Amino acid sequence: MAYSFSTLIQKRGVLPGFSLTLGFSVLYLCLIVLIPLSATFLKAAPLGFQGFWDVITQPRVLASYRLTFGASLAAATINAFFGLLVAWVLVRYDFFGKKLIDALVDLPFALPTAVAGIALATLYSSKGWVGHLLAHYGIKIAYTPLGVVVALTFIGLPFVVRTIQPILEDFETELEEAAASLGANRWQTFSRVIFPALAPALLTGFALAFARAVGEYGSVIFIAGNIPMVSEITPLLIITKLEQYDYAGATALAVSMLVVSFTLLLTINALQRWAHLRKF
Amino acid sequence: MSISIHNIQKSFGSFRALSNVNLQIEGGELVALLGPSGCGKTTLLRIIAGLETPDAGQILFEGEDATERDVRDRGVGFVFQHYALFRHMTVFENIAFGLRVRPKSLRPKEAEIQQRVHQLLELVQLDFLANRYPPQLSGGQRQRIALARALAVEPKVLLLDEPFGALDAKVRKELRRWLRRLHDELHVTSVFVTHDQEEALEVADRVVVLNHGKVEQIGSPEDVYDHPATPFVYQFLGDVNLFHGRVQEGHARIGEAEVALPLGTQSHESAIFFARPHEIDILRESPGASALSATILDIRPLGATVRIELDREDGQGLIEVEMVRDHYQRIALKEGEAVYLQPKRLRVFGEHELQES
Repeated sequence: MAYSFSTLIQKRGVLPGFSLTLGFSVLYLCLIVLIPLSATFLKAAPLGFQGFWDVITQPRVLASYRLTFGASLAAATINAFFGLLVAWVLVRYDFFGKKLIDALVDLPFALPTAVAGIALATLYSSKGWVGHLLAHYGIKIAYTPLGVVVALTFIGLPFVVRTIQPILEDFETELEEAAASLGANRWQTFSRVIFPALAPALLTGFALAFARAVGEYGSVIFIAGNIPMVSEITPLLIITKLEQYDYAGATALAVSMLVVSFTLLLTINALQRWAHLRKF
Repeated sequence: MSISIHNIQKSFGSFRALSNVNLQIEGGELVALLGPSGCGKTTLLRIIAGLETPDAGQILFEGEDATERDVRDRGVGFVFQHYALFRHMTVFENIAFGLRVRPKSLRPKEAEIQQRVHQLLELVQLDFLANRYPPQLSGGQRQRIALARALAVEPKVLLLDEPFGALDAKVRKELRRWLRRLHDELHVTSVFVTHDQEEALEVADRVVVLNHGKVEQIGSPEDVYDHPATPFVYQFLGDVNLFHGRVQEGHARIGEAEVALPLGTQSHESAIFFARPHEIDILRESPGASALSATILDIRPLGATVRIELDREDGQGLIEVEMVRDHYQRIALKEGEAVYLQPKRLRVFGEHELQES
C-alpha cells in the first residue's frame, strides 16, 4: 500500500466525523474485547513457554481440541446445508404458519443454553423420545461426541438462516429468468447463478455458526457426558482447571483456543475479501 | 420467424393487464411496443417470451402453437431493462453461459465456444472487456453485453424490455442507432418495449401503440405519427394543442374563428381538434375569420426550434407553437405582443370518439 495513514484519513475525509467515530470504535473494542483478551495472555505468562506448551499439549487437552473443533466444523457444515434450505423455504414459498416458523428460527438465540442442553439430553438419551427409537438401531447420541454435534447444530442454526435470508430476498428474479431464457434448467440455474450469489453470505453464516459453536459451553455439557478423552470439550476443561484453582493452566488453554479461532476466522474473512476483490 | 398473437388476455388479480390483443409480427421485422407505464406492453413481451402465461389466447411461432412451450424451448433471446448480467461471472462467461448449459450432446466444443464468444464480443465492439466483471462496466457496455449474451444461443426471436430505459440520454441515442444497424445486419425478428415515442419512431419498422391493455394502433412510424387513429395516439406521440368546438358545413368553429377542414368531414355538435405545435402559424396581420387572437406569454429557444407559449384572447387556455429558429428571427416576435394563430392542419375527433378511450 502506497498510502500513508494520514492520506488514507484524508481520502476518506468526505464523510464527516471519521476521526471521532474511529476513535470511539477503537476505544470501545479495547474495553470490550482487547483488554479482557490481553489479560488472558498476561495470566498465562507465568507458565513460561515450556510450561505453556506442556499444558496445551496434554493428551486429554488434545483430544478436547479435536472434539471441540471437529464437532463445531461438523455442526457448522450441517447448518450451512440445512440453514440454506430453511432460508430458501422461508423466502421462496408462502404457506400457512410461515411467520411462526420464521420466529422459531431465532429460538436458539433466546433460549438459555442450559435449557437447550437439558432438553436435548432428555430427548436424545436412550430413554428419550428420539433416543429410544435410535437405540433400536444401536445409535447412541446423548453422552457421545455425536451428542456434542447435535447441541452445536442446534445453537448455530439461526446464524446461517439469518445471513442468507436478506440476500435471497434481494435476489433479482430477472437473473433466474435470464438463465432460463438462455436454456438453463432449474438445477443449472441454482448451481450456476443462484448459489454463487449466495456463497459469500453462506460462508459468513458458516463462520458465525462455527465461531459460536467453538465457544459453546452451556448446552454441550448436559448432553456430552464429559468423558475424558471421548466427549470432553475444551471449554469444560478450562472450567475444570478453574475449579482446581489452576488459573494459569486455564488461561493457557483459553489462549490456545483464542489463537486457533482467530486464525480460522481471519482466514475465512480473507477468503471472502479475495472473492470480493476479484469482481470489483 | 413470424409471431402471431391471437386474443391474448391477462389479468393480475383484478387488474386487467391485456384484453384481447391481436398482433402479427413478420419474420425479420423490428417492432416496437409503445405505451405509457402500466399499459401492458412489458406483460405482452413476457408472454411472447414464455416468462408469463396468458389467461386466454394463443401465441404461434411460425404458425405453430407455442402458448404452452417453456421459455427454455422457445428459442427466444431476452434482454432485460436492468441487464440481469451474472455478476460473479466474467463478461466472457456471461456470453458463454447459454452455450455451456446445453445438454452434453448439443454443447459446442470449448474451442468453438471461445470462437463464438469472441465473434459476439466483436459484434458488440467490446472484445477488450472479455475478462472484466459486470460491475466494472458502464451501463451502455452492460446492455451490449446482455445483448451479446442473448444472441449467443442464436435465438429466432429477440425480445428487448425497455433496453435503453436505464441509460442517460446521449448513450441511449447512440445505442438505439447501433441497435437499428445491428438489426439490419442480423435480420432476426425483434420486438422491443419502450415508453419513449422518439425511440419507437426512430428504431422500429412498425410501431404498436398500447393503452390500458388494448392495441390502439399498429402502423409504420410515419403512419402512427401522421395519421393517429385515436386521440390517445395523437396525444401520446408528441406535444399537442387541444381545441373544443363544433364542426359545421366542413368548417371547424373554435370560439369566434372558423377554419376550413378537409372535404367530407362529418358535422359534430361538439368536437375536439388537435394541432401539433409546429402545425400552427403565428401571424401579425389578421387573415380574417380563420384565425384566433392570442397574446405571447413566453418565448423559449430550444436549439434548432423556438417554443412560444400563448394565451388565447377568449380565455380558453394556453397554446404552444413551435417554429424553426430562422423564421422566428425573421419575424422577430416579442413577449406580450398580440398576434393571430392560424392552424395549418387540424385533426378532428367527435366527442363520442373521445369517450371511448
